Amino acid sequence: MATVFMRWLETRPGDYDRGIRLLTLGRLRPLKERIAQQHIREGMRVLEIGCGTGALTALMAARGAAVTAIDASPAMLAKARQKVAASGSPVTFVQMDATSVGDRFPAGSFDLIVATLFLGELGLEAQQVVLDACAPLLAPGGRLLIADEVVPSGTAARLLYTLVRWPLVLLTWLLTRTTSAPLRDLEGLLSRAGFKASQVCAALGGSLVLYQASPTDEATVARPRAVRLRHQVTLRTLLIDLWAAFFRILPPYPKVKPGLYAVGRPGPDSPVLVTGNFDLTVRRLVRAIDGQVDAWLLVADSAGINVWCAAGGGYLTAERIVAAAKAAGLDGLVSHRALVLPQLCANGVDGRRLREATGWQVHWGPVRASDIPAYLAAGRRKTDAMRWVRFPLRDRLEMVTVTLGFYGLLILLPILVFWRHLFWPATISLVSLSYSYAVVEPWLPGRDGLAKSVPMTLIALTGLLVYTAVWDPAPVPQLFGRAMGITALSFFCTAEMQGMSPLMRGEQANWGWEAVVGAAMALTYWLVPLALGWR
Amino acid sequence: MPTFWSSIAEHWHIARTLRHLAIRFRPELCAGDHFCYEVCPVGCWMPDEAKNKAVLSHAERCIACGACVLQCPHNAIELE
Repeated sequence: MATVFMRWLETRPGDYDRGIRLLTLGRLRPLKERIAQQHIREGMRVLEIGCGTGALTALMAARGAAVTAIDASPAMLAKARQKVAASGSPVTFVQMDATSVGDRFPAGSFDLIVATLFLGELGLEAQQVVLDACAPLLAPGGRLLIADEVVPSGTAARLLYTLVRWPLVLLTWLLTRTTSAPLRDLEGLLSRAGFKASQVCAALGGSLVLYQASPTDEATVARPRAVRLRHQVTLRTLLIDLWAAFFRILPPYPKVKPGLYAVGRPGPDSPVLVTGNFDLTVRRLVRAIDGQVDAWLLVADSAGINVWCAAGGGYLTAERIVAAAKAAGLDGLVSHRALVLPQLCANGVDGRRLREATGWQVHWGPVRASDIPAYLAAGRRKTDAMRWVRFPLRDRLEMVTVTLGFYGLLILLPILVFWRHLFWPATISLVSLSYSYAVVEPWLPGRDGLAKSVPMTLIALTGLLVYTAVWDPAPVPQLFGRAMGITALSFFCTAEMQGMSPLMRGEQANWGWEAVVGAAMALTYWLVPLALGWR
Repeated sequence: MPTFWSSIAEHWHIARTLRHLAIRFRPELCAGDHFCYEVCPVGCWMPDEAKNKAVLSHAERCIACGACVLQCPHNAIELE
């Protein structure tokens, strides 16, 4: 579902180049030239992680280095191959995920490892996994060069950065659907990975930096132990719940720091449960199992999105879970080799790839967290009730509130500004329509939100007629206007509710029809009064 | 702005595709691992223990999430 939608969001290589140029205001190119001129000597063995469209690859190859360039995207690599072929130098291109770079190349096989504007594309643990793998790959005297965007230090610089960056990010995304994420605490990441780092140069007010790092002999800093999570209600959780009740579709999503957590008092035999890092997801999972099960909780970076949407949109992937597992040191933690994944991330997490990359068994757990204790007690066996999605009244009411929060704002704000006299009628109609739909949805005929919109609209129009006849008689032109409004609102809330549960195809499937019906209604609203001479 | 219009066209295409996607199952490739049954959230699949094959018993429930397609080790399932 969302997988197909997200394809639209994928960046094409040409757009990517333009987008990055715009985002860095043209300052990345000089930085790459500087890397090639000052740090590359002939015959040097260089590993470029995340070569993208190969701009730096070509520059380094032209200086006579033996470059190995890796990238996860076949489209980017194809472009990079073209670019390098034009310069005629030999480059080894490898299509692979950066988190497995440590397994792919023998130790000590490079004199220089370079990554430009790459780390920010990874989740936090993935960044750590990649950097951890770098030190052993370097030959004695080898170095690591990282050029990336960072949030500048200093209040004034940070403020200026925020003011300039946000419009720029928005503009770039609209034009090219490219974006980048600035790194936080790059020096900390490097030192935890066993590097001593120093900043070589900075551009764009300290927001684009080049770091040079060499491995140290000091033992890496010990990673913190798993924090214990408990079900608890605090002012913070209440505020987040209140916000999430209406606006959970809107970013920034409340997040939990990815990593390993403990629920209860887990030991070496306890199960390992995997989930995403949306705050609500983690808290609800903990609430469901705390006190019943002792388990390790591996929270992977899903960009703060729930597991179903994150997996469908490409944010929760096998790679992200591999990275989380490696960063947590799972192998040494428990005696078994079984991961339990939420069933609802199977639309995007490739179970086979996860198995192959970790050597762990992958088990698809139940849909609902509340079934986890029973599932584990039965020896990881699911009943059909555990594997099939239900959409009970309680969930429907919750989801309709979320829809109202976001789409209600989108519809009602313009009405408040431009048609003030319609604000209260529209608000009362939208709210009562939405909740009525939530209650009667299972009994309405039709297999999806579009089909169900027909009976729903008929019910709403009947309600309007009764209201008009009994309480508020109105002349025909005014009744026509009311009917059009009610039809539009009920069509909208039935069609949009569809995406709120994995029970029906995502609401994206309706967009085309929503546009057509919307246009037809606008036309009717304009033409009928003209034809009947009401205006 | 060609990007803008091509995005709209692509959007339309995706909306249309999503509505019409349906499962195509090739039982001859199925080896009875039942990952499809394990991951389908709407109950399209049932295991046939006797023949050790999956059965597409409720194709009409499919929401085109792609989970069975992704998890099938034998590429026996496609969405088209």
